[in-house]
Amino acid sequence: MTEMFANLSLGFGVALTLKNIALCFTGCLVGTLIGVLPGVGPIATIAMLLPITFGLDPVGALIMLAGIYYGAQYGGSTTAILVNIPGEATAVVTTLDGHQMAKQGRAGVALGTAAIGSFVAGCFATLIIAALGAPLTKLALLFGPAEYFSLMVMGLCFAVVLARGSILKAFCMIMLGLLLSTVGTDLETGQERMTFGFPPLSDGIDFAVLAMGVFGFAEVLRNLENPETRDVVRTKIGRLLPSWEDIKQSIAPCLRGTFIGGTLGILPGNGAVLGPFASYTIEKKLAKDPSRFGRGAIEGVAGPESANNAGAQTAFIPLLTLGIPPNAVMALMVGAMTIHGIIPGPQVMTKNPDLFWGMIASMWIGNLMLLIINLPLVGVWVKLLQVPYRLMFPAILIFCSIGIYSVNNQPVDVAFTALFGLFGYLLIKLGFEPAPMLLGFVLGKLMEEKLRQALIISRGSFMTFIERPISAGLLLVAVAILVIALLPSMSKKRDEVFTE
Amino acid sequence: MSLNKIEAARGWRVRSTQDLAAGLFMIALAGLALFLSRDLATGTLRQIGPGMLPKAFAWICAGLGALLAVNSLRYNGEKLSGWSWRGVLFVLGAAVVFGLTIRGFEIGPLKVPQLGMLVSGPLVVLISGLAAEDVRLKELVIFAIAMTTGCALLFKYALGLPIPLAPWLLGI
Repeated sequence: MTEMFANLSLGFGVALTLKNIALCFTGCLVGTLIGVLPGVGPIATIAMLLPITFGLDPVGALIMLAGIYYGAQYGGSTTAILVNIPGEATAVVTTLDGHQMAKQGRAGVALGTAAIGSFVAGCFATLIIAALGAPLTKLALLFGPAEYFSLMVMGLCFAVVLARGSILKAFCMIMLGLLLSTVGTDLETGQERMTFGFPPLSDGIDFAVLAMGVFGFAEVLRNLENPETRDVVRTKIGRLLPSWEDIKQSIAPCLRGTFIGGTLGILPGNGAVLGPFASYTIEKKLAKDPSRFGRGAIEGVAGPESANNAGAQTAFIPLLTLGIPPNAVMALMVGAMTIHGIIPGPQVMTKNPDLFWGMIASMWIGNLMLLIINLPLVGVWVKLLQVPYRLMFPAILIFCSIGIYSVNNQPVDVAFTALFGLFGYLLIKLGFEPAPMLLGFVLGKLMEEKLRQALIISRGSFMTFIERPISAGLLLVAVAILVIALLPSMSKKRDEVFTE
Repeated sequence: MSLNKIEAARGWRVRSTQDLAAGLFMIALAGLALFLSRDLATGTLRQIGPGMLPKAFAWICAGLGALLAVNSLRYNGEKLSGWSWRGVLFVLGAAVVFGLTIRGFEIGPLKVPQLGMLVSGPLVVLISGLAAEDVRLKELVIFAIAMTTGCALLFKYALGLPIPLAPWLLGI
């Protein structure tokens, strides 16, 4: 316990310098600015804003990125409440009651509740990360290649089960991601694999290029196709601070949401996405009058928003302690960290404690910033949301182009991104949900490396994955969740959860 | 909408053009991957070669694709919807033009000098803007100029990224 607080104070010492506070502030601000744009989710936002952190030192860059991440998350909620367009899967739930509240002239209260709920969730989640960081890192040291491989298999199984839509299609996306990850030079033999003999491909497909193509460009194409039904709230935003009555109503949902979201967020394989749905369902079940839900119930905003933010934050745990990104956004964080020469994993905490704890402290500061900058700036976001899409997407496009070009200073990357945009559009047309593909892509390289190491150690015996107890346990969990998800009764429930 | 739906269906016919196309798409991609990795050594389990995983993944992809395609004959699902070529052409075209002009290129007889962001920026905005059905040209031109100026100030000066502005005119 004392160790944890000593670590946290080290972190706050790093994060509370004037420069780092300014970076955190800028990150939150631009993150929200881009995240507010309809149809631009956190993945596209972070991919777009990656280059602006390049000139900074690693600590500063990570603090800024964390700020961008929270800003993007919160921007998504703002769009959900004001325009009824969820920026990403986790904001879907917020549209249900948040937008209704906005229609009733209580947009301000909805936004305020979302911000305060997120802040409360963020405070708890920061403590959870600080408390679990050290023990999990010690656990990670027990992990050999076989355990890592099995853990990633489990993560991918979770991702399949938790993806929206058909399980079979989610499976396809994971495998496609794994397949794409094998493009490029083979690490052991140096042979080129599936590169068409094209030199820019010999380093493999750049993650930012893939993510921006599939989530930036393809999303623009998808939005262009559907005639605009942007339902920007015309009524007054109203007061921002919830009344005493509102606070009393939302405090319990907020705490429950934090607990649910925080717990699910730790799971590898995008558990965070389930948090808001679970929280909403529970609040509805617990409510005295469930019919209020869907008609502007404040609990329906407070609970899911807290769950969302708690999950978004605890999702850092697998990344920082085990080096395994649990979802596509965290995968982008891996990319960003590697650019700054940090390889996420247990060694970060021991080798760069100031970076590790500084980032954790900055998460809390980021949440506070959101509260401070977003509430007064609501008017600006509303103005921004009234910009017609015919001007919005060229702006998104020029940001994306400059952003992608700046990652490697490679013009050919921009063309590749366009190609993946086409690919992503094709996937959307075919009814695939691309998020699991990105996760498969990111874990693919690491999985191959660990698989090879494990098999060399075991002299080619697959039994090593079952003989080692931790590895066997992880694989067992993976099989169990797949079986449960495929049971007819469960798969019906799963459909219900996601369509609600 | 495949594995989950357990509505018993009688007779085989195409019940979901979307799933059928998706299955065939997966098989085609797997075929391409298998073709490209045909010369890579598979190796043994003890010493995995560079080709083992790509081939294994490709076969699984093909299998899943086949399953999707078969399921599309048995379970009802979504139909394939139309394409918007206008969006694909202008939006993706704009990005390609940006890539080609920002630092210039040479493909055979075709040569484009290094034009820099002051040219590439407005081009992206103008070309992509044409994808919108309610495009207004005058508004778009003003917006293109404003966006480029903003981006130049932000990325070149505020953030100091090494992106060429207009080497042929300003030398930077």
